[in-house]
Amino acid sequence: MTERRQDIILGGVFAATGLSAAYIAAGYRGASGIYPMSLGYVIAILGAIVAIKAMLRGSSEPREIIRKAPQALLTVGIGAIYLALVPILGFYIASALLVLTLPAALGFRRLLFTFVTAAIFVGIVWVIFSVILEKPLPMPVWISY
Amino acid sequence: MKYVALALAAVAVGTPVLAEYPERAIEVTIPAPAGGGTDTSARKLGTLLEEELGTSIAVLNVAGGGGSVGVTQFMMQKPNGYSLLATWNSPITTVPQVQQTAYQPDSFTPIASTSETAYTLCVKPEFPAETGEEFLAELAANPGKYTYGNDGIGGTMQLAAERIFQGEGIEAVAIPFGGAGETLQNFLGGHVDIYGGSISPVLPYTESGEAKCLIVTSAAAVPALPQAAGLESLGMGDKETLLWRMVLAPAGTDQAIVDRLAEALEKTVNDPSYVEFLATKGEVPNVVVGDALAERLQNEYDALAIVAENLGLNQ
Amino acid sequence: MELISQIFGGVFAFGPIAAMIGASILGVFIGALPGLNPVMAIALLLPLTYSMEPLVALGMVAGIYNGSMYGGAIPAILLRIPGTPAAIATTFDGFPMAQRGEASRALKIACWSSAIGGTASAIALMTIGPVLARATLYFGPAEYFWVAMFGMASIGVMVGKDAVKGLMAAAFGLLLGTVGLDQLSGTPRFTFGEVWLLSGLDLIVILVGLYALPPVIALAEDRDLKGLSASALKLESVKVPWGEVRSMVPTWLRSSLIGISVGILPGAGGNIAAFLSYNAAKSTSDDPESFGKGNPLGVAAAECGNNADNAASMIPALTLGIPGNVIAALVLGALMIHGLQPGPQLFHQNPGLVGGFMVQMLLTSLLILAVGGAAATRIFAQVQRLPGVMLVPMILVLMAVGVYVINGRVIDLWVMFAAGIAGYVLEKLDVPLAPIVLGLILGPMAEQSVRRALLISRGDPTELFTRPLSAVIALATIGLIVWPMLRAWKRRRA
Repeated sequence: MTERRQDIILGGVFAATGLSAAYIAAGYRGASGIYPMSLGYVIAILGAIVAIKAMLRGSSEPREIIRKAPQALLTVGIGAIYLALVPILGFYIASALLVLTLPAALGFRRLLFTFVTAAIFVGIVWVIFSVILEKPLPMPVWISY
Repeated sequence: MKYVALALAAVAVGTPVLAEYPERAIEVTIPAPAGGGTDTSARKLGTLLEEELGTSIAVLNVAGGGGSVGVTQFMMQKPNGYSLLATWNSPITTVPQVQQTAYQPDSFTPIASTSETAYTLCVKPEFPAETGEEFLAELAANPGKYTYGNDGIGGTMQLAAERIFQGEGIEAVAIPFGGAGETLQNFLGGHVDIYGGSISPVLPYTESGEAKCLIVTSAAAVPALPQAAGLESLGMGDKETLLWRMVLAPAGTDQAIVDRLAEALEKTVNDPSYVEFLATKGEVPNVVVGDALAERLQNEYDALAIVAENLGLNQ
Repeated sequence: MELISQIFGGVFAFGPIAAMIGASILGVFIGALPGLNPVMAIALLLPLTYSMEPLVALGMVAGIYNGSMYGGAIPAILLRIPGTPAAIATTFDGFPMAQRGEASRALKIACWSSAIGGTASAIALMTIGPVLARATLYFGPAEYFWVAMFGMASIGVMVGKDAVKGLMAAAFGLLLGTVGLDQLSGTPRFTFGEVWLLSGLDLIVILVGLYALPPVIALAEDRDLKGLSASALKLESVKVPWGEVRSMVPTWLRSSLIGISVGILPGAGGNIAAFLSYNAAKSTSDDPESFGKGNPLGVAAAECGNNADNAASMIPALTLGIPGNVIAALVLGALMIHGLQPGPQLFHQNPGLVGGFMVQMLLTSLLILAVGGAAATRIFAQVQRLPGVMLVPMILVLMAVGVYVINGRVIDLWVMFAAGIAGYVLEKLDVPLAPIVLGLILGPMAEQSVRRALLISRGDPTELFTRPLSAVIALATIGLIVWPMLRAWKRRRA
């Protein structure tokens, strides 16, 4: 995508965010609404300037957003699955799975190395948070009762 | 892993057997930031309670919304005795008046109140009043002239003060701050005329003569503040509003667990080391358990509802 | 004399010394690991210390506090992930230096600057603390408003290539700062009926996502399967020549002063000390263009500034009983649990304890040189020898655990993740991230103070300018904006 089109979209998104924020804030009581409402308008105006500037003299050179799509998307995707699994499998099982699978997904093939590193790492996290600090972390659903 | 093993063992045996309560760590939610009055009181109590119950206690601070964020998050906990709430009265009896909350004072299993203290109103030495009576007269004679700092709009401190003011037809300008420390700073710097907040932060300044505290919001006077009048002596003993702390459990907690905890709390709160700790903060132990506690919450809630209504703050 | 021997006798015992050394190392790690931060660590550790000797407990607090402020610089320089909010400004020049192969030099400068800032601040705490604390009382809501504006003015240095986008980012940060329950009216704003939003967006949650996720994705994109070899790390000790050290002295002085001034103001917060110091270093420099491209002075200013905030932030807490930040509140809590009554008489109640803690703040600042320069930096650098693809999930796990334990809720993980993805995209579109964070930090302070000031003046806005102190800060703010412009104009003419 060219820089121009990106900036038009960017400015548009911010302008829309600003306007909706201003619209919502207009409903707030008295002084508590004035400030967010004006901020909303300021964002809308600045967003519009970004978009208009891009229309008038935006460069038509392409600008990369994702440097390497497969790796970036894999990381974000597996990261999202990880966060979704934390409340189900519990923090430690989900984390161990993440440390084991993500390097492999990115093309790391030294399985023993991965396994040992994952074990040491999860062990350290466990010692710090569960043993020393005694912080309650999400537990697997089948254990919480 | 300790807990995992214990939990697995419990699953293997079948349903948890209460005779063994507590068999794993208890998590205490504190709906206030770390380092504040409720936090230090609860943590200190927690260390004593750990010994008494023979289990470890993990503290989770969830601040925000005047306490409603932490309390609401706590509502989702299971009533198994391993999740407790250590709070002061404001999130339970005051906040629901001014915010839409998912809970009411009766949404919990009350276990025990722990300690209490009064709020106080203090002025600079040059303020033209020397007694509680003169103070109220001066405020009544100058409607809208004086500003008083408080812990936040619709907070217990403001309602406690307005409860007194409304009875006397007094109009003072409420300036909300982020907490007693901030109020104190602005009071000492002369940015607000009246300090409104808990006693312990302002106490050293009454001793040094930089502040004179003329009213406490309890019915009886407070020994640490000899110049301050209790509400009883001003003829409005029924307008008492205190700052008090308690431990609650989720609704539906087993009675055997409640009794065990109430017993443990009664013992630890009255432990000499805890009483001494409370004294440094100007607080006194006061354990109320069971139905009496539920009643106390409901009465306070009903009384403050009227004040909030008069202020136009209620939801 | 007796007092001094009492203080030093207490501090120079085995327990407190061991606590300080151990906690300083621990602090460096806490600061260095994205997701862990000193506030959390001290809040978690302090209850464990209630049964300990007070000076051991306070030594641990001092060590973690000072150590972590430096620790935050390590990933900021090596990975462009600020370990703590206060290390954001360190990434501006630290990471470009590392890319040039000067990581070791940058770390060394960060280490020295942290130690110097911390030491200056501790000396201020011990000598002029009570006087400074009295001075903060003159700061009412009107003055706080201008302090916030003064902080916002430093946005100028971080707007990047496109000023409009920078301002847009700042305004967006300010808007994010309004989310939650409005303290002055009790109105919930932009909460969409969600209770967890009542407390607003947690700064650390947003920051971890915004600043840690984009570099993690970049690490995955690099797809490094080998890990850096020891020689590629170039972490052998580099000598910083004397001439360069001397050239940093003015920056250190300036940043220490800024850090101390920001630190003593209750509520102003240390995160902006680094920004302000960086801004000052850039605008007084003869070559402001070199900032952001790996100027060592940028690292020195930011790191000196954020450590100079530490001990100073204890001044109002120890002398007035008014805690200026969460860590100061925790320290007061700890002192109360040991039977002390915070207030002006605190020092006289127990000079051995309070004075001892001040000395510990000083000693732990100096300890940064020992543990930060040698052991901790080296150990942390070893982590970089792991293949990049292994670091990716590990940092993700640390981010998750750090964010989760703040409020104990899963939704924060998703807020962090969303902020991270937004940060990744925005950065690629030349929208700078620092103004968003600055807006989030300063917005609530600016709005609440101005509204409080207007409540007190019964709606009269002239009060904001006519109070002597507020007028001074207002003029300083204008100066801060105009000064770099003037200089740029002069340079262009010359």
